[in-house]
Amino acid sequence: MEGPAAGEPAAEPPAAEPALERVDPGSVDPATRQVLADPGWQRLHPVTPLLRGWKTLAVIFAVLVHQNFEHLLEPERPSWQLLAAVGGGIVLLTLLSVVWGVLAWRRTRYRIDAEAVHMESGVLFRQQRRAQLDRLQAVDVVRPLLGRLAGLAELRLEVAGGAGGGVRLAYLKEEEAQRVRNALLAAAAGVRYAEGEEAPEAPERPVVEVPVQRLLLSMLFSGLTVWVLVAVAGAVAAVFADGGVISLAAAAPLVLGALGAAWQRFTHGFGFSVAESPDGLRVRRGLLELRSQTVPPGRVQALRISQPLLWRRPDWWRVHVNVAGYAVGVEAQGEERLVLPVGTREELARVLAVVLPDLGTDEAPIDVVSAGLTGRDRDGGFTPVPPAARWLDPLARRRLGFRVTERAFLSRGGVLRRYLDVVPHERTQSLALQQGPWQRRLGLASVSLHSTPGPVAPQVRHLAAEVAAELLQEQSVRARTARAAAGPERWMERGTVPPARAAAPVPGERTAAPEA
Amino acid sequence: MSVEPFAPPGVTWSRLSPRLVTVRRAISGVVTGVLAVGLLVAGVLVSPWFHAGAGLVLLSGAWEWWLIGRQVPAWGYAERDDDLLVLHGLLFRTLVVVPYGRMQYVDVKAGPVERRFGIATLQLHTASASTDAVIPGLPPEEAARLRDRLAGRGEARLAGL
Repeated sequence: MEGPAAGEPAAEPPAAEPALERVDPGSVDPATRQVLADPGWQRLHPVTPLLRGWKTLAVIFAVLVHQNFEHLLEPERPSWQLLAAVGGGIVLLTLLSVVWGVLAWRRTRYRIDAEAVHMESGVLFRQQRRAQLDRLQAVDVVRPLLGRLAGLAELRLEVAGGAGGGVRLAYLKEEEAQRVRNALLAAAAGVRYAEGEEAPEAPERPVVEVPVQRLLLSMLFSGLTVWVLVAVAGAVAAVFADGGVISLAAAAPLVLGALGAAWQRFTHGFGFSVAESPDGLRVRRGLLELRSQTVPPGRVQALRISQPLLWRRPDWWRVHVNVAGYAVGVEAQGEERLVLPVGTREELARVLAVVLPDLGTDEAPIDVVSAGLTGRDRDGGFTPVPPAARWLDPLARRRLGFRVTERAFLSRGGVLRRYLDVVPHERTQSLALQQGPWQRRLGLASVSLHSTPGPVAPQVRHLAAEVAAELLQEQSVRARTARAAAGPERWMERGTVPPARAAAPVPGERTAAPEA
Repeated sequence: MSVEPFAPPGVTWSRLSPRLVTVRRAISGVVTGVLAVGLLVAGVLVSPWFHAGAGLVLLSGAWEWWLIGRQVPAWGYAERDDDLLVLHGLLFRTLVVVPYGRMQYVDVKAGPVERRFGIATLQLHTASASTDAVIPGLPPEEAARLRDRLAGRGEARLAGL
């Protein structure tokens, strides 16, 4: 995928079509021909280097402030020469980064056809990337604050490729970003539309909106508040203890950290709305940086519903999901992977109806899930853990348990902070059975279901050893059968609406080419 | 301990090459030796307290020696029709089931010491980072055979995510 640009002149990227394979238009349905008919290689928006340069400036500035924090607190210190040197350095670095940015911009281009997104970039190390559209896991349109002012947006395509995977198109005009997103999703879905038309934006149905009031209350009722209070109290106590600036400076990072986390949660949950469309789940949110994520149907690998202690009275819940392809690390964790930051049970039911329309039970998904969220022991058809587990987990023992439906695996737990993990059978990657020394003595074992990297790591702890062994066997068979019966990767090519269970894999169809 | 959950019915485990014991003991021995000598020298030059450190290092080295001798035979793998089983651990036992259709790629690695002793390590990767399926101490031919076989089976049963 990587190609050094040894012989290429550094001045002008070749305008003509390179020798990349061109898809034969005859073999493609009219839907995607539209996308194919695209004018070939495209550039990113010319303002890109400036926006990027600004970011560099901000980083340099932040580092300098961080490094010289103590000096800033002593008023008589800064000498003019020093300031000038630092200022000059900043300007120089910024200029350099802008020049580099212009070079990078000239070397970056992308093209979309029926099968894939192609992207070429890199100044010293040239890179060509081809992202297969039927491997598309999610599409995000991100509009950072400055980008919003300039009417620009970044388009992020996630494919399941682990760290550094996916394609980032930054920055495009907002309409352009929308258009590209629609075209991508349509092509990835296998939608057919009339020739000469633009890819239609899939119709949307709003599902849930989170009011700011509730978001603020939910933050107040969470562990975060305690943290902020402790931090602030510590700082105040420190100042009163010796009244010096030094102790304030020492306490400041703690307070800033706590406030930063609170701010993070607030901006990520602000203006949160979930909508349903044939393209899948649409999540919009953001205060300064607006983000609109689209997760196509069947791309949710696992899901966790949880509830901090103080959310019990208002009956609020939070939902995290695993989606393959989101970079491992910060992005894959917590806040980024929310599909519901705080919602009532009724809203939870609506979100579930979109994410997991069918659990393969006679009851509605929300009833199955509710039983798991609040139940203990054998409630709701769950298999509990044996009493021996009280030695290892005295508090949560009666909450631990699992249930298997025809379509999914559910694992519940947590006393103070209740949770329920749900994994569709066809999304299980691998399984593990674990047993520590104490568990062996008590005749217990734990079972883990491995999912793609993300905030959800489904596991059932402290099951009776024979139950665990049996679960491992059965679950591997269930996962296999479910996989064999799963629909095609191009979700609109399924006979019916997304929840439909395609009877068998469609062997001969056009989907065959890249997968097999 | 009434049941043995780590012995699924009808599975015969392939075990690792005993050369792995030698390799691991050699590496652990060299590390222990270097540390112990360093501490002994420091004990002579600086303070006799360093001798105590050297004693601890030697003790832990001896314990590792014993542990390696037990850990390696506890490791096993088995190819079934649809999945590969990997069993390892002594105190904390783990049995991993990796369906062939979920395999993304297979790695075969061999460090300089491993090559010298004619063994290799095989690792399976799925789309999940938590899949911990490593088989060390395979003779290179066996590693290559297993790799090709797994790759072949994976291809035949390939599914998306």
